[in-house]
Amino acid sequence: MGVTCVCQVPVAEGKSVQQTVDMLHKKLEQLGAIKQGNFWVDCETYHATGNATGQPSKLLYVMHNSETPLSSMALFEGGPGLTADANFDVLMVKLKSHFQNAKGHKVESRGTRYRYCDFLVKIGTVAMSSSARGISVEVEYCACVIPGDCWNLMKEFMQSFLGSSTPELPAVFTNKAEGLYTPVDCMDTMSQYLELFGKVRKQQVLPGSGVR
Amino acid sequence: MADVMNVGVNLEAFSQAINAIQALRSSVTRVFDSLKDGMKNKETLEGREKAFITEFQDNLQSVNRDLNELERLSTLVGRPSESHPLHNSGLLSLDPVQDKTPLYSQLLQAYKWSNKLQYHAGLASSLLNQQSLKRSANQMGTSAKRRPKVQPSTLALPTQYVDDVISRIGRMFPDMSIELFRPNGTSAVLLVTLGKVLKAIVVMRSLFIDRTIVRGYHENVYSEDGKLDIWSKSNYQAFQKVTDHATTALLHYQLPQMPDVVVRSFMTWLRSYIKLFQTPCQRCGKYLQEGLPPTWRDFRTLEAFHDTCRQ
Repeated sequence: MGVTCVCQVPVAEGKSVQQTVDMLHKKLEQLGAIKQGNFWVDCETYHATGNATGQPSKLLYVMHNSETPLSSMALFEGGPGLTADANFDVLMVKLKSHFQNAKGHKVESRGTRYRYCDFLVKIGTVAMSSSARGISVEVEYCACVIPGDCWNLMKEFMQSFLGSSTPELPAVFTNKAEGLYTPVDCMDTMSQYLELFGKVRKQQVLPGSGVR
Repeated sequence: MADVMNVGVNLEAFSQAINAIQALRSSVTRVFDSLKDGMKNKETLEGREKAFITEFQDNLQSVNRDLNELERLSTLVGRPSESHPLHNSGLLSLDPVQDKTPLYSQLLQAYKWSNKLQYHAGLASSLLNQQSLKRSANQMGTSAKRRPKVQPSTLALPTQYVDDVISRIGRMFPDMSIELFRPNGTSAVLLVTLGKVLKAIVVMRSLFIDRTIVRGYHENVYSEDGKLDIWSKSNYQAFQKVTDHATTALLHYQLPQMPDVVVRSFMTWLRSYIKLFQTPCQRCGKYLQEGLPPTWRDFRTLEAFHDTCRQ
């Protein structure tokens, strides 16, 4: 449970999604990272029904993370979120009358997990209805829980293998009311993934990007 | 004949004495041979007995003669020089079978080695005694009877005094909190929480720091039965390195007469870790070296270095 940063890496010129992912894997292995299994993060969208007229229905996102396999996280975009155990999905089925599942909008990111000293790097292919839409990279520095403390350190690490695709400090930390120096929690990671999935949904479908 | 006084052993008389011993041996053998052979064959019994007795007497007389000759020569041989340098161990060299039992040469080597060892140990102890590195109460050297029984009182401090010193140090630094536990008897165990960076467990022995272990802020410090876990290492390599450096620090800061100064210096040094993840290394300027932040803090200047960058 450390500070995480999720970012999107653009697909390299003239290469497919899989090839870019392989390039990143190679760079990480050159650094000395060790492969440690796979990971997945998925997100399902629910429409809130029975709204007052005229207002767009609020979207509820229910997400799962392989790092916390027994938990489900539910959040509104930019709004409050909750963490529950895996039975929350069953509860959502029971709440069919209030929340309707938008089946075609499920987004997930799957890929490999690398460990380098105290860093965990997860490189995943973001797919929506079996078509690869982009690449997500999550870097977690497990030893520290304060984003303000270790941001420069993480940036230096990300530059060593992402090069110019290194992101800035995620907005989820700067937008916090208590500031940059409060401990993180798993909701921060999920909010970042939600933001990334939202961006990917709005993107056009990449040409020739069927998941192999 | 050589002068007995100048030469320790009279060599000629020695060789003559050896010949005399051989002659004596052979005459004694003749005596026993004639006894073994018994009486020779002659016509009458008397003749046989007479011949036997005559022969026997002749043999005994020759033995007597040889013995007297040997005694005369032995007085001439003289004693070996008293100032024999090798004494008893030199006798080992006199009858060597060098291939199978190289005793004497091995003995010489063992002596040379032990003399060298003694010499080096003397040099080392004189060098080490220049720095007082004692962490125990034992007095070295002369027996306790001659020296008045002076046990350093710093090892048997009352627990209230220890509590006071620790709480005073805890108040010195606002971003560091120190909690004191006594789970095993009178030894204090401190839980030092430094900001939101790390938690250190410091095991004390009266006011001396015995051991320390450093873990991350979010790691669990309690074991399953609710007590402080003072043994398991941190899960993160950065904090494992910091634990090693803290152990080096508690060996570095030493002053047996004023242990509270030592504890204060150690806590000041530990406090410099509040910016463990924020400071780049003073030498290479980077934050990470092999995935680790600058974990070394110089003992005098408290500057941050990577473990591989420190001088």
